[in-house]
Amino acid sequence: MNSIHVMLMYILIHLGLIFFLFPFDIIASTDQGHWFPIMIGIIIHFGSLVIYMRGLEFFPKKNIVGIYFGYGKGKAVLFLVPILVYLILVLLITTRAYSEIINIVFLAHTPLWAIIFLLLFVATYIALKGIETILRTGILLSILFLPIILFVFILSFQNVDWKYAIPIEPDFRVFTKPSYFESFFAFSGGFLFLGFVQPYFSYKRKNILLSACILIPFFLFAVYIPVLTFGQSTASTMFLPYVVVVDSLNINWLMFDRVTMFFLLSLIGFIMLYTSLVLWKAALIISSFVPKIKVNYLMILLSVAVFFFSFLIPNWKEVEKFFWWTSFLRLYILITIPLSIYLLGIRVKRKSNNDTY
Amino acid sequence: MESFLNGIKEKIGDNDDFFTQLDFLFHKEVSLVGLSTMIDLSKTKEALYQNVRRISFQEPNSETIWCILGEVVNGEMKKAIKAIFEGKLIIYIQNTNQYIIHDPVPKTLNRSIEPPMNENVVQGPLNSFIEDIDTNIGLLRKQIDSEQLFVRSFTTGTKYHKKISLLFINEIVDKDLVDRITEQIEKHKDRDISDLQGLSSMLKSSKWDTVFKFNTTELPNHAIQYLKRGRVVLFVDNLPIALIFPNLLWDMFVVENDRNFPYPIMTAIRCIRVIGILVTLISPGLYVALVAVNPEVLQIELALSVAQSREGVPYPAIVEVIIMLVILELILEASIRLPKSIGPTITMVGGIILGQAVVEAKLVSNLLIIILAATTIANSTIAGAQGSISVRVFKYLNVLLSAIYGVLGLATGIVLISAYVASLNTFGNSYLHIRLERNEQSR
Repeated sequence: MNSIHVMLMYILIHLGLIFFLFPFDIIASTDQGHWFPIMIGIIIHFGSLVIYMRGLEFFPKKNIVGIYFGYGKGKAVLFLVPILVYLILVLLITTRAYSEIINIVFLAHTPLWAIIFLLLFVATYIALKGIETILRTGILLSILFLPIILFVFILSFQNVDWKYAIPIEPDFRVFTKPSYFESFFAFSGGFLFLGFVQPYFSYKRKNILLSACILIPFFLFAVYIPVLTFGQSTASTMFLPYVVVVDSLNINWLMFDRVTMFFLLSLIGFIMLYTSLVLWKAALIISSFVPKIKVNYLMILLSVAVFFFSFLIPNWKEVEKFFWWTSFLRLYILITIPLSIYLLGIRVKRKSNNDTY
Repeated sequence: MESFLNGIKEKIGDNDDFFTQLDFLFHKEVSLVGLSTMIDLSKTKEALYQNVRRISFQEPNSETIWCILGEVVNGEMKKAIKAIFEGKLIIYIQNTNQYIIHDPVPKTLNRSIEPPMNENVVQGPLNSFIEDIDTNIGLLRKQIDSEQLFVRSFTTGTKYHKKISLLFINEIVDKDLVDRITEQIEKHKDRDISDLQGLSSMLKSSKWDTVFKFNTTELPNHAIQYLKRGRVVLFVDNLPIALIFPNLLWDMFVVENDRNFPYPIMTAIRCIRVIGILVTLISPGLYVALVAVNPEVLQIELALSVAQSREGVPYPAIVEVIIMLVILELILEASIRLPKSIGPTITMVGGIILGQAVVEAKLVSNLLIIILAATTIANSTIAGAQGSISVRVFKYLNVLLSAIYGVLGLATGIVLISAYVASLNTFGNSYLHIRLERNEQSR
């Protein structure tokens, strides 16, 4: 029962992250053989995921905040502060970026602050209700929105020309491109929450891996569909390539002209859920350092702060800069957190083995 | 030893329906005390004499013989008064300071068991609950016939007493839930409960929840099915409904009577209810969003015809929708309030307003009338009175958000409603659970 909550949440937040900037970054990073950078990303993703979950299994019923604090304040600061900084930056960037996207795609006349306010308000509301509500909302949203996403995803193959997939030889220069490292946000954004839900929800490792597998075609085709529809050289000029593809769909029997709208709205629903989750995680970490203030106040304070700070980022160029800055932090999170949890876990196991003998 | 009688007379003797009568039972002088509005005295006496005659043939031993007539109490005045107001007959044995609480033949103050008034049944059992709590419990006992059905009763209130009964099937129910409800009732036993709000606050739910922690039904058949699914049923005296704990989202789509149809048809009916709730929530908001903020979503022909139907309407879509929704709510409310003989008038007048006149006067668009009708009809498909009312409230959130943010607002509204619904729980059981028994197994 609980596994389903976590599985669906895992899928939802990744779907929210995949379809917007990920295709742009990958297409910008290479001219051919897009599968190669994507697969590398997926492999790293799986690697971190497996190590992370293995590590967490050594600490049943404990979240990562509790685990790090169990090893003294030094370790807690060393690992939790980067996570916190990362989470806050993610919060800032996602609200800023997605409000920008909303503004571009369907609310051209609405001032940006109103959209940011809406996104943050919803996220804070859900986060205030706690992790159980966040995950249960995930269930409801997936019942309501996942069919739409699948429907549009299948339809988006409408104008595909498979010849564009050639040449398939990989180009190894991707590792020198900054935009490739930016693309890692789609892999690193979601998996951390597995370490936070522990006391409230339990899950089986197998199930999470299954949901990660379900995501693989989405990772691949979010990039490939724009490439196969427009060709690399056209697709590389677009800001949100996948959205353009969906926008170009033509379905006569549907009374709506822009299917994009519903597709994007569903994804933005997921993003709201994602931001609420990030907000909750960040507040949880802060409250472990400052236990005097109530978590609820922290969440409100945090979202108010994010609201005002997001105005310090004047335009999209700056958002992208932020994105680039955080990519190092992202790699750090993707590699050190799972490894450290795993190593700590092994130490615990050795200790308890020694105790028993 | 007349002080007992005098004491009672002093306390409640001012009531005109209070009576004391001298009588002789087993060759002893007794006084019969009670309220004539609740006791059918002549029938009671007849029954009493018959009883006495029968017993005195058997064994004229005076010590134990009184116990046969009822509970023998030693001069406790408070208890006697309480019993009198519960409709019992007090038989006071002169010169002994002892009295007997006797179950008399009551005046018939209950209506008989009738078909349900508010919940329609298609091809199912037709009896429904009545005001009397014992009859209601009896109805369930008769239908379920199992030693696993347990009843726990409580009397609440200090000034105004009210009986509450808790029913559950012992082997299926989540014991934790029963204990928690019992604990809450015991804790707030001194509260006077006259309505569901009072009961709800007794059971520690927030005053501002738009959804109660319990679901209601008039039908014994439904109550039984809920009991079999691990729910707890609560009766309050003088409420002709059963309260089902905990309330679940899924109850909005499921009527037990569905199972009297073949499986595929049952599934189809339930799908229709799901569509109903979605249409209720989305359609008014979608109208506002498409007309006022995001007309480009529609295909051009459709957008044009929408615009055409709104030609000449002098105010923005949100005002239009809100006006019509409010009128609709007024009609709904009025038709509940009115006596049955005047009700059709309202329907007719409302029909004219909503159907033709407003459109012809160019006050609202044609399309909106269609949307409104669809919304109202869809809202009525939701099972359970409580559920459909909360959904009725939720749709305004969507209308308001759509007016500001267009389709994004609509989506946000749905996310917010989902989050709200997801956050509800009854004593630790989430509103989103589908079944309780299975849930217990997994624990």
